[in-house]
Amino acid sequence: MIKVEQISKSFKDTQVLQGISFEIKKGDFVAVMGPSGSGKSTLLYSISGMDSLSSGNVFFEGINISEMPEDELSEFRLNKMGFVFQNAHMLKNLSVFDNIILPGLVAKRESADDIRKRALELMKRMGIEGIKEHDIREVSGGQLQRASICRAMINNPEILFLDEPTGALNSSATDQVLKILDDLNRDGMTIMTITHNPHVATQAKKVIYIKDGQIAASKEFQAGADRVEELDEWLKGF
Amino acid sequence: MKNKVITTVLTVFLIISALFMAGGLRIAGTMISSMNGLNELAVMTEYLQMHKGTYDEDAFEHFVETHDYIKASMVVDMLNIRNANITYQGETLEKYLMDNGFVVQNEEFDFLLNMDNEIAVVRDGEIGVPVYYAQELGVGVGDVITLHEGDYSKKLTVSTIIRDSSMNPALTSSKRFLISLSDLEEISLHTGEWEYLFEFLLEDGATAAVLEKDYMDAGMPSNGVALTGSALTMLNTLSYGVVAFIIIAISIILIMIAVLCLSYIIRATMAEENYTIGEMKAIGFPQKTIKKLYQVKYLMLVLVAGVLGYLLSIPFGDFFSSSIVMYCGYGTSEWMKWIFPFIGVILLSLIVLHRCRRIIHKNLKSTVVELMRGEEKIKKEGHYSLPSAGLKHRNLTIALGELRCKWKEYIVIFFIFAVSSFLILLPMNMKNTVENPSFMTYMGVGESDIRIDIQYSEKLAEQKAAALSFLENDSEITKYAIYQNGYVQFVNADGDFEYLRVENGDQSVFPLEYLEGSAPDDGKKIALSYLIASESGKKVGDSLMVTYQGEELLFTVSGIYQDITYGGKTAKAAIDFDENDVEVYIIYLEVRDGVTVSEKTNELRSILTDSKITPINEFVSQTLGGIMDNLGLVERAAIMISFLLIMMITVMFLQLITAREHSEIAIKKAIGFTNKDIRIQLGIRILIIQFVAIIVGTILSNYLGEAIFGLMLSSMGASKIIMLVEPVTAYLLYPVAQLLMVLITVIVGTKVVRNYHIRNQIME
Repeated sequence: MIKVEQISKSFKDTQVLQGISFEIKKGDFVAVMGPSGSGKSTLLYSISGMDSLSSGNVFFEGINISEMPEDELSEFRLNKMGFVFQNAHMLKNLSVFDNIILPGLVAKRESADDIRKRALELMKRMGIEGIKEHDIREVSGGQLQRASICRAMINNPEILFLDEPTGALNSSATDQVLKILDDLNRDGMTIMTITHNPHVATQAKKVIYIKDGQIAASKEFQAGADRVEELDEWLKGF
Repeated sequence: MKNKVITTVLTVFLIISALFMAGGLRIAGTMISSMNGLNELAVMTEYLQMHKGTYDEDAFEHFVETHDYIKASMVVDMLNIRNANITYQGETLEKYLMDNGFVVQNEEFDFLLNMDNEIAVVRDGEIGVPVYYAQELGVGVGDVITLHEGDYSKKLTVSTIIRDSSMNPALTSSKRFLISLSDLEEISLHTGEWEYLFEFLLEDGATAAVLEKDYMDAGMPSNGVALTGSALTMLNTLSYGVVAFIIIAISIILIMIAVLCLSYIIRATMAEENYTIGEMKAIGFPQKTIKKLYQVKYLMLVLVAGVLGYLLSIPFGDFFSSSIVMYCGYGTSEWMKWIFPFIGVILLSLIVLHRCRRIIHKNLKSTVVELMRGEEKIKKEGHYSLPSAGLKHRNLTIALGELRCKWKEYIVIFFIFAVSSFLILLPMNMKNTVENPSFMTYMGVGESDIRIDIQYSEKLAEQKAAALSFLENDSEITKYAIYQNGYVQFVNADGDFEYLRVENGDQSVFPLEYLEGSAPDDGKKIALSYLIASESGKKVGDSLMVTYQGEELLFTVSGIYQDITYGGKTAKAAIDFDENDVEVYIIYLEVRDGVTVSEKTNELRSILTDSKITPINEFVSQTLGGIMDNLGLVERAAIMISFLLIMMITVMFLQLITAREHSEIAIKKAIGFTNKDIRIQLGIRILIIQFVAIIVGTILSNYLGEAIFGLMLSSMGASKIIMLVEPVTAYLLYPVAQLLMVLITVIVGTKVVRNYHIRNQIME
């Protein structure tokens, strides 16, 4: 689904990513780990087209998105990708519900009624239908993060990008979010998440470890294995 | 301060405010110094009575001897020469409204000064020309003025330009030329009519009003205008002070805007620096130190703006006071033009710094945690709902919704847009009102096309008859009316005698709109000008006793009208003046459609050679003289300033708003809005605010403008001005130009949106 070819990214004199290549297949759940400053977030923003590349190519279903003009990329992201950030960035002048439906209304792929129905279903699935009309300042961080997952899902994206989705949440909220991600992946949603929380990474099928802007190692979990133990053991190597 | 653009724009704002403050005060300082200087050096008369016709010299001398408060007196012999008999560069002065008198230099006081403010001296064959003509006609030293009557012709070479403390401004309808005694005697043998100026200087403590009363009681010569020193000063102030008044008014508005902007910017930038302030507080920086740190930034800004504003105000002030300096010279208190603006700039700086202090102090009250968590004390903005039918016009819907929630942030820019629109329209509407033929109604007569003045002369009756017989038979003239003008005396509110110019004639031919009541319809009624009515406290229905030829006549006030001619002090009543007492016959006439006023004027001039014929629009523009020129200057300056203001505030506001909303912009981009969408949304928000502001500014300029204009002209005699608006320019061209200006600024100013990189914004 996504093919990353030799991508590099530098800011002024600092090389943040160096010749990274990997592939994400449909239905994958990839977690990217690594120490602070290793280039994890840069990798996510680079392959999702939110940031430009210094060199290399990213192919999304065969289309080279690294060469797309900015406005075309916006449209592409709107229809194909969903994003969840560490802090649930939402527009403060819209209610929780309107924040969720906005990308759907902008994309205009479905009727407004269908988008509303879908948003309600998603909210029910995430257990936040009660905060529908709330102002975004009136709800908890966990609720807001689940709302931002709903927003990311509103256009039925082909891939969900998450940047430290549980970084600002307490443990029970983290568990709720992880459960949702697991459910989504089981339903066939492709997911790529950045995290330095091993607990989050154990939800993934594949883990990529980044160090100094390069892939230090990657690992696929075997079915039925004790992922926590396996991951702990694997991470000891870095 | 993070943003260089904001700092630059703010500095420019402060510089312009300082420039206007200092510039206005420099003009005021120059004006006071110039006027006082001229009055002092010329030894201005304290009471001046003009008189046409003979007088008893012994009686006058006796009057002076028996009134010990008279310090000095003199009778100036002034030879009035008709404008048609004075030629400059091949053209007569016929189109000028001024009465031109020829005099020799006075010996004791009321000196005519040269351009160095020294007592002017002219030799035989030379002439000193009033500064009014130097400015209006460009007369210069070395030019030749020719006086002619029949076969007689006298060429006089201009040797100096004259400053005249009594008759300098355009608002004074007489002008004095200086010639030598032998030339005066020679010319008087061939042309002109004598008029006498009875002038007085008073001992300290004596007032002109006392002299005026005694002068009247003694039956001294008084067939003409009487002016006190204070009235002359007022005429001067009106002529030269308008620019200073308007510039100071604009500077006050600009200062308000600058302080508003500054408050807004400080609040906005301080909000961004809350984390840093929190850190400083956390590690134990005393509040005083933090305060100082931030105040220093603004202090530096104010200092730079103050110094630059002061320096720029020198050429700026000198440009706008060039007319005062030309008419009056630099005067004797030149320090004023340096010190006044200095004090102004200091005051401005203190106001700005005080405002900064208060905002910074308020901001520092938050606790460390509040500051570091960024718990802004900003009001909850609330939210808007997306339409259930979807987003047909997504940018419009989002922009309107956000505007509904964030309207408070737009108060400052709304206010500035409204003020700018007001600043553009007010001088323009004023100028348009003054230039409209219907402005005539503020000059004591209904709308007409041409005015004919038949002034005192030995052939008065003859001239009048000739004029009337011509008008009677001219089919191109649809209607005309003749008015007899003379003087009566009445007792004013202070109990002093005062001269009142009364016009007698058929008031129904050119009906005038009255402020109150109506025109006098019988011999027992009198209509008063606004100034006379307000000064004497008379209302419609009150009675007024006037004295004419020693006889007391009782009138009932039938109406009050506006009139800015003759110092604003006139009346209308059926007083049949003796032919010798008629100061002037004025005929107003209206020409048939299709007949051009200028052609008819030329025709009348060629036929009625002894009369003064003036198209009404010329009469208005010459009477208002410098005021109209000044209004034109102010109009252009106001337009420039307003457009600059609009552009700067839009640039600054966009910088602030995009910085403040950087996270929302990033979110919008992340969920699929393009850069163009976001720029359109910002543009719609600002343009809607501007559109409403233009409407408010337009309404303000119409209603508040009328009040301001009325206030400005009330001292001249017109208190209730109906503002005449040129709809295409005022309601279409300028608003569109303003909107375009903002649109272009938005297009350029929102390019910054492209630089808000999603990644940077999200990761912040």
